[in-house]
Amino acid sequence: MEPPKIWRERRGRYLGLGILCHDCKTKSFPVTNYCPECSSEKVEEIKLAQTGKILHFTKVSQTADEMMFNAPYIIGLIELNDGIRVTGQITDTKSEDLKDGMNVKMVFRVLSKNGEEGLIGYGFKFVPS
Amino acid sequence: MSNNETFIVGYGITKFGEQYSTNPSSSASTAITSAIHNAKISKDLIQGLYFGSLLSNTNLQPFVGAEAARECNLNVPISKVDAGNASGAAAFHQAFMAVKSGLLDCIVVLGTEKTSDYVNSSKIEQILGGTIDYLWEFEQGATLTSLYAWMTQAHMNEHNTTLEQLASVPVKNHRNGVNNPIAQYRREISLERFLKAKRISDPIGRFDPATHCDGSAAVIIVSDKFVKQHSEVEQKAKIVGSAQASDKLALHHRTTLSSLMATKVASKNAYSMAKIAPEDISIAEVHDSYPIGEILAIEDLGFFPKGEGGKATIEGKTQINSDISVNTSGGLKARGDPFGATGIAQIIEIVQQINGEADKRQVDDIKFGLAQNVMGTGASSLVNIFSNMEDDK
Repeated sequence: MEPPKIWRERRGRYLGLGILCHDCKTKSFPVTNYCPECSSEKVEEIKLAQTGKILHFTKVSQTADEMMFNAPYIIGLIELNDGIRVTGQITDTKSEDLKDGMNVKMVFRVLSKNGEEGLIGYGFKFVPS
Repeated sequence: MSNNETFIVGYGITKFGEQYSTNPSSSASTAITSAIHNAKISKDLIQGLYFGSLLSNTNLQPFVGAEAARECNLNVPISKVDAGNASGAAAFHQAFMAVKSGLLDCIVVLGTEKTSDYVNSSKIEQILGGTIDYLWEFEQGATLTSLYAWMTQAHMNEHNTTLEQLASVPVKNHRNGVNNPIAQYRREISLERFLKAKRISDPIGRFDPATHCDGSAAVIIVSDKFVKQHSEVEQKAKIVGSAQASDKLALHHRTTLSSLMATKVASKNAYSMAKIAPEDISIAEVHDSYPIGEILAIEDLGFFPKGEGGKATIEGKTQINSDISVNTSGGLKARGDPFGATGIAQIIEIVQQINGEADKRQVDDIKFGLAQNVMGTGASSLVNIFSNMEDDK
């Protein structure tokens, strides 16, 4: 990943952010300048709920070079406790120990490594809670 | 809507597979030239080239359409149409609209892909990452295969679809592919082999995904005005319906994972344009990049009720000359999946079937045939419907 892109995306990737629309009251992810539902510009950045549950999960063995240091890893579809759904890795566990519906919490981890000399990309993942 | 009628008068296709000695532009120009020969028209009559390709114009490949046009000495406007791995059908849909509108009368549509230059599969994974939500799915660690695994799980959970039912999709398609001379894999694979294979992204097994490869395919679309001016040109099929629809890019934004809304909407619009119902379709080429892809397609296109696609497949209702003949070509699974070329290859299979040119995989008495091409996990879906020329002769 290129440094300007890592820098630009750092807040959303590190903190897990969404928006709340003051007109239609919809919460959505990721951060956008306008509400994706009603196109209102009266939107406020919010922090996503830090806990949620697993809807689906599976293993990934082959992906982009920058994420291969971590493979095979588990990728999950997570429904956060504020109702927002996100895609994220489930870490510090084995797939045999996971089940759909299990509770997870958000953690801060390494997402990508660009060779020996490139920047390290960080972001949110999930661990069983 | 304009009353202009549109026809396919020629097609050309290369062998699909790993063509290490062929460069991207010569593969593309081979398909274009054989389509022109097949149509028996002078290339001076061609007014435009529309093409679809996933890798062309990325940092991996140059503008293949322009290079192919140079090789064919085609001095026409060239447009690349992008809908990820459904780019071939998307280019076809745009060309159809140009002819239907009456602005152009003769267009060549090309689908082309050259993936075997990239021996490191991480590169291909990254390119396919562009067909899903790159920022919030791919860069979070998801891949196309893992997202299809979730969709498979959702269908299994909601409709009790079994691994045996899922595996019966590629078993059938490999059986059909044996008789397709351009297919990458012309051999059968047993149900047991699919079931015993290691799970790469559970419940998806090692042999389940279609493999990416090289290949090019082209068709020539003309108007009824062109047909009147060139009565010697044979019409091979009539385009009676063509539609494209979209869905949320990311699975985490969708309300269901066990249905492709884009396919539902596109097929509804295409059926309505053709003034037909799903029951009128005799053959269909659908996007079986993973087994669940074909099951979702035959349900969302209206051939079988929701949840019964797996059961219908294992009971043989989608075999050649059964209730509906699905993926008579072998589908993406046996024919191989050169992303941009796939959508056009599907259309060529329908045209060959309609004209009785499909040899051992021939389906009897075809009135209407349908092709469905999908981008990523269904963010975009294209449905094109063709009829035979009987009524017009």
